[in-house]
Amino acid sequence: MSDEETDMSKPQELSVRSGLSLEPDPWAPSIRSVAQSSDRQAFQRLYAHFAPLIKAFLAKGMSARMDRSVAEEMTQEVMLKVWKKAGSFNGSKASVNTWIFTIARNTRIDFIRRSQRADRTIEIEDIWHEADSPEPLVEMQQRRLEVIVRQALDTLPVEQALVLEKAFVESLSHNEIAEALGLPLGTVKSRIRLALSKLQILIDR
Amino acid sequence: MISYHPDSRFLTDFASANLQLSEAVCVSAHLEFCGKCRAHVQQLTYIGGHFLARLQPETLAEDSFEHLMGRIEAHESSAQSVSGADLSADYGGSSRSVGNTQRTEAARGGASIPLPRALRRLSQGGLQNLGWVQLGKELRVAPLPIEARVHKAHERETAIYDIKAGGRMPEHEHRGEEITVLLRGSFSDAEGSYSRGDFVVRNAGEAHQPTATLDMDCLCLVSLERSVRPRYWFYRLLEPLVQYRLHKVMSRNLPA
Repeated sequence: MSDEETDMSKPQELSVRSGLSLEPDPWAPSIRSVAQSSDRQAFQRLYAHFAPLIKAFLAKGMSARMDRSVAEEMTQEVMLKVWKKAGSFNGSKASVNTWIFTIARNTRIDFIRRSQRADRTIEIEDIWHEADSPEPLVEMQQRRLEVIVRQALDTLPVEQALVLEKAFVESLSHNEIAEALGLPLGTVKSRIRLALSKLQILIDR
Repeated sequence: MISYHPDSRFLTDFASANLQLSEAVCVSAHLEFCGKCRAHVQQLTYIGGHFLARLQPETLAEDSFEHLMGRIEAHESSAQSVSGADLSADYGGSSRSVGNTQRTEAARGGASIPLPRALRRLSQGGLQNLGWVQLGKELRVAPLPIEARVHKAHERETAIYDIKAGGRMPEHEHRGEEITVLLRGSFSDAEGSYSRGDFVVRNAGEAHQPTATLDMDCLCLVSLERSVRPRYWFYRLLEPLVQYRLHKVMSRNLPA
């Protein structure tokens, strides 16, 4: 259990939609306060909680590729975007955790590209955009699916959780995971597929 | 009706942002057509959100929050003196409307061509402003300069193929993986027929000869792991020249 679930002193909100009751996202009200009234105290609470997590995330994902000291600088970039984009947060689609993950992920890949002096022909945010979302009906179920993913992740066998962590935190592709663990690519792929089916992410192929 | 989708490897590597950019552009283009895969990618990002929440926090510099607030205040006061619109563009705040304008761009006889959002910066004025290389009567190719200088080890080539209705591509064999996303029209090869939105993957060693359907031009986004070797001696003879022309045109497709 993560701390925001047990700490009742933190702001709480119950999201109920069309009779579907979900557990509260403790950080959604703070994001909304930032969006609606540029609430600096709410932002400071978000910063105190998320900035150290973002820094850890960025440091883990880049340790092999670059100097860890940039993690601090990039954390600021991510939090700056949280401030600017708070209005686009959609609580029925994903939790604040997931929303901030996507911002950190995009910032990381943008940073890697800049450091490689790639031609700026493509904007990262045009590839990983906050999509023209799925149909409303699907969206209503999204947060419930998120709860399923989170609960199932906690019960995954260690070797399945490990490959997912390598992908999402350490920023390794299937090929790189295979290399890092000394496994055939097919094994990595089937391990991930097995894990995803337990998370009820049922991709046909 | 979309029948071909990216597999779990593509979707997972996309959601964790570990695909090469050229592949990611193809997945992103498919997602614009496919609500089912969009929902899968959304589910996959939950994994990232959960891992983020469970990390061991790392301490930041003591004054880091004040430092950030200083930057925000500086941004906001300069934004007020210039214009608010620039700021929202900077941070992607109002990007959706730009995407819609792009979609209505007419090209080639006024037909509306839906270009993927990922390509909107490259194709600023629409398809007609891209540099094209005509290869025979039926096929023209616009090479896209995506990460041309990065990932030398496993370099990919990205291009838009425009095949005239009923036109045939030269039969070719792949030395590496080829991804094709159909943006308009449809085509078929010995393996099957493909329509708008389909995400088709061909692996090294597979040979095929795609043919556009008779009634409509076919527009595809293609990402190649390495250059494709045409089987016809004629095309093989042409290859160095074609390569040279493609390369020259590609540098024209860099945005100013």
